[in-house]
Amino acid sequence: MVVNATLTVVALLCLWLVVHLLFLGAVSHDRAQSLLHSELRSQLAGATAPVGPVTEPGAPVALLSIPAIGVEETVVEGTAAGDLFAGPGHRRDTVLPGQVGASTLYGRSTTYGAPFRDLDRLAAGDLIKVTMAQGKVTFRVLGLRHDGDPLPQPAAQGAARLTLVTAAGEGRFARMMPGSTVYVDAEAAQGFPAPAGLSPSVPESEEAMKSGTEALPLLTLWLALLIGLVVATQLARQRWTRTQVWVVGCAPLLALSWLTTDTAMRLLPNLI
Amino acid sequence: MNRRHSTIVTAVVAALMGLALLAPGSSAGSTATRTAVPAGGFEQTKSIDRTFVDDQGNVEKVGSYDLTVRADHTTDLRGRERVEVSWTGAPPSGGRASNPFGEKGLLQEYPVVVMQCRGTDDASLPLDQQVRPETCWTSTFSQRSQIAVSPYEALWTVDRYATDADRAPLSGADRLPADTCKEAQSDDTYTHVTPFVAASGKVFLACNRDTMPPEAAVDAAFPPSEIAAFTDGDGNGSVDFEVRSSAENESLGCTREVACSIVVVPIAGLSCATPTDPAVPAGVSAVLGKDCRQFGEHPSGSSNFAGDGIDRAVGPGLWWAASNWRNRVSIPIRFGLPPDACDILDKRAPVAFSGSELMAQAALQWAPAYCLNKKRFKFQLNQMPDQTGWNLMQTGGSPAAFVAAPHEQTGPDPVGYAPTAVTGFAIGYVIDRPDNAGVYTELRLNARLIAKLLTQSYPGSALGKGHPGLADNPLSLQLDPEFRALNPGLTDISSEAGATLLSLSNSSDIIQQLTDYIAQDKDATSFVAGKKDPWGMVVNPSYKKVDLPTGEWPLLDTYEPQTNDECRQANPAVYFNQLAAPVTTLRKIADALIDAWPNVQTRCVADLSAATKAWKLGRIDRQSYGARFMLGIVSLGDAERYGLQAASLKTSGGNFVAPTTASLSKAVGIARQKKGDPRGPFVLSQKDLVAAKSAYPGTQIVYTAARTHGLEKKQAATVASFIRIATSEGQRAGRANGELPAGYLPLRKSGPTARLWHAAQDTARSIEAQKAPASDEPKGEAAAPATPQAGAPGAAPAADPGAAAPAAVGEQQEVVTAQTEAASSTTALSMLPALLVIGMVAASASLVTRLMALRRRWSA
Repeated sequence: MVVNATLTVVALLCLWLVVHLLFLGAVSHDRAQSLLHSELRSQLAGATAPVGPVTEPGAPVALLSIPAIGVEETVVEGTAAGDLFAGPGHRRDTVLPGQVGASTLYGRSTTYGAPFRDLDRLAAGDLIKVTMAQGKVTFRVLGLRHDGDPLPQPAAQGAARLTLVTAAGEGRFARMMPGSTVYVDAEAAQGFPAPAGLSPSVPESEEAMKSGTEALPLLTLWLALLIGLVVATQLARQRWTRTQVWVVGCAPLLALSWLTTDTAMRLLPNLI
Repeated sequence: MNRRHSTIVTAVVAALMGLALLAPGSSAGSTATRTAVPAGGFEQTKSIDRTFVDDQGNVEKVGSYDLTVRADHTTDLRGRERVEVSWTGAPPSGGRASNPFGEKGLLQEYPVVVMQCRGTDDASLPLDQQVRPETCWTSTFSQRSQIAVSPYEALWTVDRYATDADRAPLSGADRLPADTCKEAQSDDTYTHVTPFVAASGKVFLACNRDTMPPEAAVDAAFPPSEIAAFTDGDGNGSVDFEVRSSAENESLGCTREVACSIVVVPIAGLSCATPTDPAVPAGVSAVLGKDCRQFGEHPSGSSNFAGDGIDRAVGPGLWWAASNWRNRVSIPIRFGLPPDACDILDKRAPVAFSGSELMAQAALQWAPAYCLNKKRFKFQLNQMPDQTGWNLMQTGGSPAAFVAAPHEQTGPDPVGYAPTAVTGFAIGYVIDRPDNAGVYTELRLNARLIAKLLTQSYPGSALGKGHPGLADNPLSLQLDPEFRALNPGLTDISSEAGATLLSLSNSSDIIQQLTDYIAQDKDATSFVAGKKDPWGMVVNPSYKKVDLPTGEWPLLDTYEPQTNDECRQANPAVYFNQLAAPVTTLRKIADALIDAWPNVQTRCVADLSAATKAWKLGRIDRQSYGARFMLGIVSLGDAERYGLQAASLKTSGGNFVAPTTASLSKAVGIARQKKGDPRGPFVLSQKDLVAAKSAYPGTQIVYTAARTHGLEKKQAATVASFIRIATSEGQRAGRANGELPAGYLPLRKSGPTARLWHAAQDTARSIEAQKAPASDEPKGEAAAPATPQAGAPGAAPAADPGAAAPAAVGEQQEVVTAQTEAASSTTALSMLPALLVIGMVAASASLVTRLMALRRRWSA
């Protein structure tokens, strides 16, 4: 009986995680995008959209549109795993996309809406459109890079360079096993001036394929609450009927599970 | 008759001598002598005389002079600039006042009145563009009007050249309004007003203080500049006359467009009409006739400090009277563009170069040559401490910086130094010799004296004497035996202003170099270290062993005197800081020196009318003319522009070197550039400068410093073009737009400045090219774009190929770039399959166990 219950819990847990990553995450990504998009829209209209060099992580900074693969996303500031739940993230030690210099955007390939799922289908010459505080810039894709490919040629004076980064896999189960990274370089001949004062580096958790441990305390809190909820349902079960307990307990359980999973996902690599 | 004979002989001799001097020119002196006039200067000779008409109508000539007036420059003047006006052949003055400016100079005999007037002396012009007494500026009404004078004293009415209107009881104005000019409205008196006509056309009647233009208010912002100057026994004299533009004096209103003149009115005495005027009572005309024919009470060369009465017929108060006014010499002057011309005339956004105030006077003349030329850019100097300007330039906040010394490079990009101007700083001073003997012009200072001033080692007054350790020090510079030995014959009255050197409060390459000058001197450093000087003076303990050299002079003293003075008790403050009171710009120091107004903040002002007694501390009064003693650090450009004296500084072998073209050239010859650094700064070591004996230690080379890599292409081209224009066209000495003002040593292709010139061209080229530094070239460009090795800890920001390897590489030229090192993660690789597999397995196992349990139940 104990073995059976354990196996059930393990199965539920694993499958819940998979469902969350692949489907529920997409829901929260879509909701975040919708909010970010309207926020950025009003900022662009009011000319209050950020131009760098320092922007609050999580704030929308640009609108990214890649017609070739149907991407239409609002880019947020920051590339920590948690920032990328909402959409593609702008690496904080590079200029904003569209500004003179090199800008880097990270996006998820598999989970949380997977905005950069089809990045590897881009080919040289495809267009990438960026709308940001200083205006619109159209980039032209230079090419795709995997591990071992040469870096692109240095950009010309005054050009804006954009590099999109996401996770990618190999072989038959490439979609499900994104162990490596893929880079898409794009260039626009004329960029907007970039403000000085860029941060020289980012925390390790914001680099490609990295995860942080900053979420651990929060995760502990959620788990404790979850345990508390389980105990509470057990206690309630002694007084109420099964139906009543289900009715009362279901919503908090779902919410807490969702939060706990989200927090736990911040411990996973940021690009998948 | 005898006397008349002798005067005629004198006049003839004088005329002959004058002709001899002017030979080989024609008798039209002015054309002959024009050749000797410096460009932009002025010279004119005029015969003036004084005549009396006797009862029979015979004209007797009692004085005749050939007056020659010169001015050293008259074009492109700026507000507060001083023009040297000199003359020969004027009548010798007597009864000299201690302060000849404004109304203080009225009680003198035979002075030369020098004023600034609007208009030019050309009868062909419309009346409102001509010089008239009504357009001449005086800062008090008593200098231009005679109000309610008794008939016995109305000398102007017996002037030989006076018109009938001038002889009336009221002259100068048709009538006076009853409400404003009450003083002038008394019966049986004579009044002459010389109204002032402002540039706007408004007429100020000038019959009392309230009917004068606003700039003539008591204690106005600027002290009087009009002067009743002194002529020596040989008939020679000179003044440094300060001109005012419309920025300083709007009523006078002299600008580039509105022509003005410096009017020199030599007072040779009134020419008198026949003493029997039927219209005037006999008694009155007898007195007037006698008074008009006076020749002065004070012997020539004498002083009149007590303000004794004078013979008004030979005094300056009646400069406007017809017989004086007709003797005038008008020096036409023309102002340059106002400092804000570029802001008004050019709407483009300025390209602001940040940095040293040493460039201020050059930038003032250079800026219009850029902004008025649409092919060039709008050049602007943003004055700030050198280090601040340097930092701005490094971070891209400003395309280029003006610095006067090497600075440490902290940014990622290499910086090139282009020598742009050779100038420097001076210890400016205004010191009067005692007993009205004129201005002292030979101040000599050594490093120890400067150290004494900067370290606040003179107590200044009895208040400072209480400072521990300073009780036995001389009160101020005037009493220091070392100073007196170098500068004999100066006053021995101490003053607070004499205890300090007005200096800069912020960091500056000037302070760096000045303290370096102290640091190289053995006597000065041992004094700062605590050793007594040969006369027993010691350093202020607060400054003992202060760090030298330093770019920013600190205020270290904390002594607050304990006194019974109520004001000081109400306002406790550090006394020595009040003495030093450093300011933020050299221009403020120059202004303080022009006005002889020390920045010493020890004056107590009491507002006893307030319910609670209110005391405040403020700046002390302006120093009175004849007793001025003040020192301050100024730039050579300011010193030349405003006619400030610059001290000679001691170099080795007991030499004292003043800033001159020769001594600056010598200093530049010593400057050394580091080997193998063709775009680096030239180092002026104080040790070498002092050892060279005749080099001026205050010499500084001002560089245009800009990044030779990492600058935007357009900005780089702008900076390079600035350097090229500044080192070619900008080095022509002159006063016009785009030329190099006095106080700067022109950089030339040959001669002592040749190395600087070539370095500037070299730097301009490399700034324009914006090439990546040579040492980084083979590796840097290839390695720098190796950015997407983002997985590697501490790797450069991902994908930086654009920023790190810029335009130096041509588009066609392939660059070998590094390989992508993609980030990878086994967690990412295996997580999802693992989750799925484990989930499936657990689910099926749980299903199986469940099924097995069910079967067992059934079978049982």
